[in-house]
Amino acid sequence: MTRTGIVAWNTFREAVRDRVLYNLVFFALLMMATAVLVGQISIGIDSIVIVSLGLSAVSVIGLLMAVFIGVGLVYKEMDKRTLYALLAKPIRRWEFLLGKFAGLLLTLTVNTAAMTVGLFLTLFYVNRALHSADLVVLTAVYFILLKLAIIVALALLFSCFTTPFLSICFTAGIYVTGLFVKDIRSFSDITGNPALDRVAVWFSYLLPNFQNFDVMGAAAHGRAVPGAIVAQNTLYAAVYCAIVLAAAAVIFSRRNLK
Amino acid sequence: MRSRKSIAVLLLLILPLGFSAVWRLQHQIDRQLDRAEEENDDVLLRSGKLVRVLSLEYGTFLADVYWTRAVQYFGLKRFRQAMSMDMLWPLLDLSTTLDPHLLVAYRFGCFFLAEPTPQGAGQPNLAVMFVQRGIAANPEYWRLYQDLGFLYYWELRDYQKASEAFLEGSRHPDALDWMKVMAAKIAGEGRSRETSMFLWRQIYESTKDDTIRKNAFNHVQLIKAESDMEQLDEILFEFEQEHTRLPDGFGELIRLGLLPGRPLDPAGYPYALSTIGKVEFDPKSPLAITQRSDELGRRRQSITHAPGG
Repeated sequence: MTRTGIVAWNTFREAVRDRVLYNLVFFALLMMATAVLVGQISIGIDSIVIVSLGLSAVSVIGLLMAVFIGVGLVYKEMDKRTLYALLAKPIRRWEFLLGKFAGLLLTLTVNTAAMTVGLFLTLFYVNRALHSADLVVLTAVYFILLKLAIIVALALLFSCFTTPFLSICFTAGIYVTGLFVKDIRSFSDITGNPALDRVAVWFSYLLPNFQNFDVMGAAAHGRAVPGAIVAQNTLYAAVYCAIVLAAAAVIFSRRNLK
Repeated sequence: MRSRKSIAVLLLLILPLGFSAVWRLQHQIDRQLDRAEEENDDVLLRSGKLVRVLSLEYGTFLADVYWTRAVQYFGLKRFRQAMSMDMLWPLLDLSTTLDPHLLVAYRFGCFFLAEPTPQGAGQPNLAVMFVQRGIAANPEYWRLYQDLGFLYYWELRDYQKASEAFLEGSRHPDALDWMKVMAAKIAGEGRSRETSMFLWRQIYESTKDDTIRKNAFNHVQLIKAESDMEQLDEILFEFEQEHTRLPDGFGELIRLGLLPGRPLDPAGYPYALSTIGKVEFDPKSPLAITQRSDELGRRRQSITHAPGG
């Protein structure tokens, strides 16, 4: 196993040891309650509400994990002074960072996969069958994972140079702003100022566009997502993560750890 | 030891008395809260755009929540026979602004809006606008044209527009053939018993919701009953021509062999004979309730559409 792989595996083991995956119990209970209740309190949206609630829960739980664990990935190692022992070994700082990123992403993937199984089991319980249209739920889950990868990269970047509290604020701030990228681009419609418009457009391209990954509506209504969007979103997330992780590696490499 | 006993006795007295007082108080609080709930019947955030912004990326789920709230609100108001459903439209508007593809909200929501009070909100024009909004957001779904045509036909009695809606929907590649037939039939004949029966049957067959199915079933039976009543009126007319008086009741008609037995409406309740010789529903028959509700709605609508109304 490579050095990055070892760090990643240990990050995953640490998360499991910290009982992070216990959230799955909450998710299971939520899905069971929804499956039983929704048919009784509403009309005609049994499977729609299960998909939209299930995907929302997958997204929210994933976000909470990505932000709260992500910001502590580097800080905790420094706080406990375990980082010094680790960096004394033949491992580069960027390898350590990449390992931490991969480890948390692995944790999130395992967690999301388990929740997806739960979601499909609930769908099967309610509909008594699974249809080909339900497969679009997998695309939505994949997009949530791509979004989480960017969030983890951002959390890691901030945790390299600031406190966990500020890292949470910055990451959450960028996440929320990233949901309104289209609105930022249409700033000039409100202000009528071309200079401000140009700044807003540039700014909007710097921010991660989380609207790209929002296909929950399509999944809930069984509408297919074009393959081109899947490929483009994958590439977008990979490039964005690479940029953020590169920035994090540069900052972390130059950081004086004494 | 004695003090322990006295504490136990005291507890035995205090606990039942205390809890009975709590029970009574809770009932009084519930009554107060119920009243307050009636008064505070409101949707705090009515702007769909604002709610969409606040919902971040979870608009689809929030739309389901608002739709469920609309169903609950409609059910509660209908149960209480309320004469106004002011919050129904904001709830439907929010649901479909958050998720414009929530077809179920357009399909059921338009009937909730259109049906006369206290069966619905008594706003057929708003219902038409709502379905048109649904069509604009989901042009590929032809069933919304069926609903639009039905609203024009049944609730607004605008047969020209009803025919146009069916014709427009029939152009959709997935639309069933009867849409075209219905367009031609309504354009040619306007309202007819056969068309009404067919349209209500379509509603009955295209929904799984019990309330809507029951309503459609009642209307199908009502149309059958209208036909029965016409035949009975003809028999009564013949009797009156022959005997220059009205019969004492259906019994006399049975004795004379004009009727094979006591006539029952499709819901199984016996028809009644009024003092002026008209056949009526038994007041307990569910068809009588449906008929009354339809007539009430029609009367209200005619008042609303009258000049200065």
